[in-house]
Amino acid sequence: MPSVTFDHVTKRFNDVTIVEDFNLQVADGELLVLVGGSGSGKSTILRLVAGLEAVTSGTIRLGDTDITERAPRDRDVAMVFQDYALYPHLSVRENLSLGLRIRRVPKEEVSRRVAWAVDMLGLTELLDRKPKQLSGGQRQRVAMGRAMVREPSAFLFDEPLSNLDAGLRAQMRMEIGALQRRLHTTTIYVTHDQVEAMTLGDRIVVLSSGRVQQIGKPIDLYRAPANRFVAGFIGSPPMNFIEGALEHADEMTWFVSDGMRIALAGVSAAGLTRREVTLGIRPDDLRMTFPSSGTAVEDGSIRGRVELVERLGGSSHMHVHAGSLHILAVVTALELPAVDDVIDLLILPQRVHVFAPDGQAIAIQG
Amino acid sequence: MRRAGRVALYLALALAALTFIYPFLWMASSTLKPPGEVGTLALIPDHATFQNYRIMWGRAPFGRALLNSVFVATSVTVAVLILGSITAYAMARLTFPGRHALNLATTAVLLVPGQLTLIPLYTLVVQLGWIDSYSALIIPYLFNATAILMLRQFFLQIPQSLVDSARMDGMSELRILFSIFWPLARPPLAIVAIFTFMGSWNEVLWPLLVVRDQRIMTLPQLLTVFALGGGAGTLGVSLAAAMVLVVPVVIAYMFLQRFFIESMAGAGVKG
Amino acid sequence: MRAERRAGWLLSAPYAAFLLAFSAYPIVFALALVMMHWDLVTRPSFAGADNLTLLAQDARFWQAVGNTFVFLAIHVPLQIVTALVLALALNRPMWLRAFWRAAFFLPVVISGAVVAILWNALYATDVGLINAVLARVGVGPVPWLTDPLIAMPAIAIMVTWKNVGFYVIIYLAGLQYVPKSCQEAIELEGASAWQRFRHLTLPLLLPQTVLVVTLSTINGFQLFIEPYVMTGGGPLRRTFSVVLYMYTNAFSYQKMGYAATIGVALAVIIGAVVAIQRRLIGQAEAM
Repeated sequence: MPSVTFDHVTKRFNDVTIVEDFNLQVADGELLVLVGGSGSGKSTILRLVAGLEAVTSGTIRLGDTDITERAPRDRDVAMVFQDYALYPHLSVRENLSLGLRIRRVPKEEVSRRVAWAVDMLGLTELLDRKPKQLSGGQRQRVAMGRAMVREPSAFLFDEPLSNLDAGLRAQMRMEIGALQRRLHTTTIYVTHDQVEAMTLGDRIVVLSSGRVQQIGKPIDLYRAPANRFVAGFIGSPPMNFIEGALEHADEMTWFVSDGMRIALAGVSAAGLTRREVTLGIRPDDLRMTFPSSGTAVEDGSIRGRVELVERLGGSSHMHVHAGSLHILAVVTALELPAVDDVIDLLILPQRVHVFAPDGQAIAIQG
Repeated sequence: MRRAGRVALYLALALAALTFIYPFLWMASSTLKPPGEVGTLALIPDHATFQNYRIMWGRAPFGRALLNSVFVATSVTVAVLILGSITAYAMARLTFPGRHALNLATTAVLLVPGQLTLIPLYTLVVQLGWIDSYSALIIPYLFNATAILMLRQFFLQIPQSLVDSARMDGMSELRILFSIFWPLARPPLAIVAIFTFMGSWNEVLWPLLVVRDQRIMTLPQLLTVFALGGGAGTLGVSLAAAMVLVVPVVIAYMFLQRFFIESMAGAGVKG
Repeated sequence: MRAERRAGWLLSAPYAAFLLAFSAYPIVFALALVMMHWDLVTRPSFAGADNLTLLAQDARFWQAVGNTFVFLAIHVPLQIVTALVLALALNRPMWLRAFWRAAFFLPVVISGAVVAILWNALYATDVGLINAVLARVGVGPVPWLTDPLIAMPAIAIMVTWKNVGFYVIIYLAGLQYVPKSCQEAIELEGASAWQRFRHLTLPLLLPQTVLVVTLSTINGFQLFIEPYVMTGGGPLRRTFSVVLYMYTNAFSYQKMGYAATIGVALAVIIGAVVAIQRRLIGQAEAM
């Protein structure tokens, strides 16, 4: 299977830049996830690969072939659409075979491929039904089957799970992942859901306003977000941000904010008198302790008042009010404080992220 | 409602319905009556006869006019469906410079009264040498602005992903139109077909202007000329000629009544 | 995209050409014809303002305009009342509802030429069906189409009969949007059936009424086949319609310039009348 390469791809519509200087190589057999909010340009990138929209500048290659100027039908890529785009008046069998018949694939070959796809997707019983008579998950499978029978060089998925309810979404997510690993077809998968991105992607591209924020393996994005946007986007529930400053004292670098300070190893603030930064800490990286009354808060902890406790069963979400801050912590303790109790949240110092005022991460050696 | 009120309502409705239906029944029965009986109220003729039809058929080429009408109305309807869909598809689903202007022009055309363009169109047809030809009856009706706007409105509602998917499946634009859009657009296509066919079938002013040769005349024109020219002789014969025009329509109307009402009312409001 | 642009142009080119030839050109040429004498045989000659002067002084034209207003004065109110009454009668779950509706709509699908020939027979003074019915109750015979004062009203009644089914459908569509809760609220206030109609239904149906007024007015100005078949414009030219006069000038007298001038004038009159009607209805609504 060939790779997909983007070389300085830019897309403008009138004066609005939708995708800005996009460079990427999707490796042979890789499942690459494009993730971002609405207006991030993720779907546009997919449509540029499909040929449904034209690039303003730059080139797109499939393997060694420049496909930038080719019509959609000549690109050897297949797409699964958000609303599935099944032809409502055709049966499942006809939906699956139409694309092949148009390409004048021999009849026996068409039947062979359709049989192969329906067998793999468990659609054999449904071949003569119309899309209206199918459940959401079944439609989703037919849409994938239609892409599969084409045996394309690359699959394009455009938010394929967003029309399904939560339970089905998790199941189909696993099916898509398993299928892609079996077929080993180069795949670009677009979603706004970071859980899908984390669980499915070999690599993830985080996009915002048409620009790449970070490219990397899911765990790298989680552990070392390149900027504040990525840090806030990846991970659920989202990271806490605390505005403050770096200060140098006692031969150490401190992050100082309203009513708290924490020593940061590996960040050099020597020579700086004071530098505005944002500290990021994931809700999972806080440990709750109950302070004895009368003691002052220790370095590396935040003291606050419990606003709300959401018990999810295995873990609980604690919303804590500390001065001007709202902090969310995920705790697994069985003994939970009551609302209005005062607690300390200990920050795991090796897990903090520091962001400069422009949003870029400042490296910390853990 | 009180029982007496209901009875009164149904009586009134029956009387009203009779007002609309009875004249046509009377017309049908009159064509079967000998000349002396025509003025009577009775629906069942005393001496039923097909004489009126025989006279009518012999005096003017009604068979030919019937074929002309079928040919003209069918050609116009097929053209409006095919050409109108193609145009509506381009206007709804393709982005190209000039699309907006075309849209505006189409809306504007509907606002211009037909009386304004009737005479210049007539002189145009004369200069093109189309007088006494089917061209005069068909070509000016090949496109219909109401039909285009109606189909465009429907085509706009079809999801873009279907078009995208079809393009990736390798379909040409025309193939997308005819093998994806048409099966989905059966109701609006039926509506357009009915009002176009009926409009062409019943049209009489335009044929009166551009056709003088009896062999090219459509049924309503020949009927008008026949009834006016005194060729009919008696009322029974005129009405017999009218029956030829009405019967196919009434039969179609009985079976497709809902479609007819939706179609002709819809077209009238939009046109 | 370039391919899409090319497809767009290709697919819309036939229509664009058609619009130019059969809509744009006739509109422009109509205005040119106003300044021409042309009999379609000899070369057209420049007429300057001749046609307009003639039109201004042409008693026959103005009589035709007057006739059309007589027609409208009877036809439009009659159309509103009959359509409204029939629609209100049908606006409830009832036995044979579809049949009643279909019956009222039947004349709409019938060719105007047939209706004219049929009503010519119905209106016949001696042997007509209508006078036969009236004779049973001791009225008549009424000289429907031969009395100068009665002929145009007779035609107006006939056209109302032909089109009413169409307007019933419009009113029925409007009545679907009269909220049931409003009906019930006003009933609880103790309003009589007439008060309910006057203060709730009628105001809510205003958009439909505007539509009925506009469409029946435009339709009225197109009056042609009825006088052409039934009266030939008589008696005393009292049923001569503007379109019939335009047709006569073009077809019988070969005066293309003058016929086109009548067409342009008619378009202007239609535009003005519809605009005035809309303004009047707007004022009535504001009161």
